[in-house]
Amino acid sequence: MKKTDNIQEDNPFKVPEKYFEELNRKILSSTVEKQASIKKPGLHLKLRSFLAIAASVSLLAILGYAGIKLFSSRNEALSLSSIPVEDYAETILNEIDILTLEENALLLEAYREEPQTEKKDIIDYLLLENIDINEIQDQL
Amino acid sequence: MSNIKIDSDILALLETDINKGFRLIVERYSTRLYWHIRRLVILHEDANDALQNTFVNAWRNISNFRSESSIYTWLYAIATNEAISLINKRTRNSAVSLDDLGKWFANSMEGSTWFDGDSAQVKLQNAILKLPEKQRIVFNMKYFEDMSYKDMSIVLKTSIGALKASYHHAVRKIENILTGI
Repeated sequence: MKKTDNIQEDNPFKVPEKYFEELNRKILSSTVEKQASIKKPGLHLKLRSFLAIAASVSLLAILGYAGIKLFSSRNEALSLSSIPVEDYAETILNEIDILTLEENALLLEAYREEPQTEKKDIIDYLLLENIDINEIQDQL
Repeated sequence: MSNIKIDSDILALLETDINKGFRLIVERYSTRLYWHIRRLVILHEDANDALQNTFVNAWRNISNFRSESSIYTWLYAIATNEAISLINKRTRNSAVSLDDLGKWFANSMEGSTWFDGDSAQVKLQNAILKLPEKQRIVFNMKYFEDMSYKDMSIVLKTSIGALKASYHHAVRKIENILTGI
């Protein structure tokens, strides 16, 4: 059967206007370009990655600092004598809050109160130790 | 330019840049495949859907494409399967029997905005729609697209002899219908 001009050349099937102009673009958007857009993470995804990394590094730094601090504070007690008193006092004051200071001051006040020791007990002690009371008179 | 020459250019490009190679495939074959599908499914909307599915399917499998067959026959095989799937789905959804499918198509075609044929064209299309599905595919491929029997046998997985016989019978039927015998 041979095609006749009447039938073949006039295609009875019509398409919407500009269909073929847009066809390739639509096909590519659901194939090649769709895959390309999936592979490239959007800016918000990149940002999330950066934030996640930053958070991990920060956590590691904090843990490391805390570990160093814990370790070094044990060693501090052994070498206090090498630290000038003024520096040590400064450090203590920086680290201890005022409420703790007041509490300690009250304890110290309580400790400074005269002991309730009788004179008789003192003399007995001195005699036992063979201490001449006249020698220590000035000291008393 | 012959299909073989076009295919060899595409195949070479697919080896080096698969994205560019696929873009070239779309450029070369989208319109041809549209008309192949359209003649089978009749309605523009259905043809558009089947065509999109064809290329999505092709894209998914492009890495597995083996150059034993040509891009041309590979694409036509996918497109034909998509069209047949759509027709079968329509048959199930609209409860149209296979015997009445031709009538259903004819009514759809003439009622569609996207069909505007004179009386000769309407008669021919109606005659084609009276053919069994596979015979209709063979007739369309041979008559409208002048596909070789060799390529057709690859697309439809049918022997060349059977295809020749099928086309011969299809032509006889259509001629009888058009002449009123």
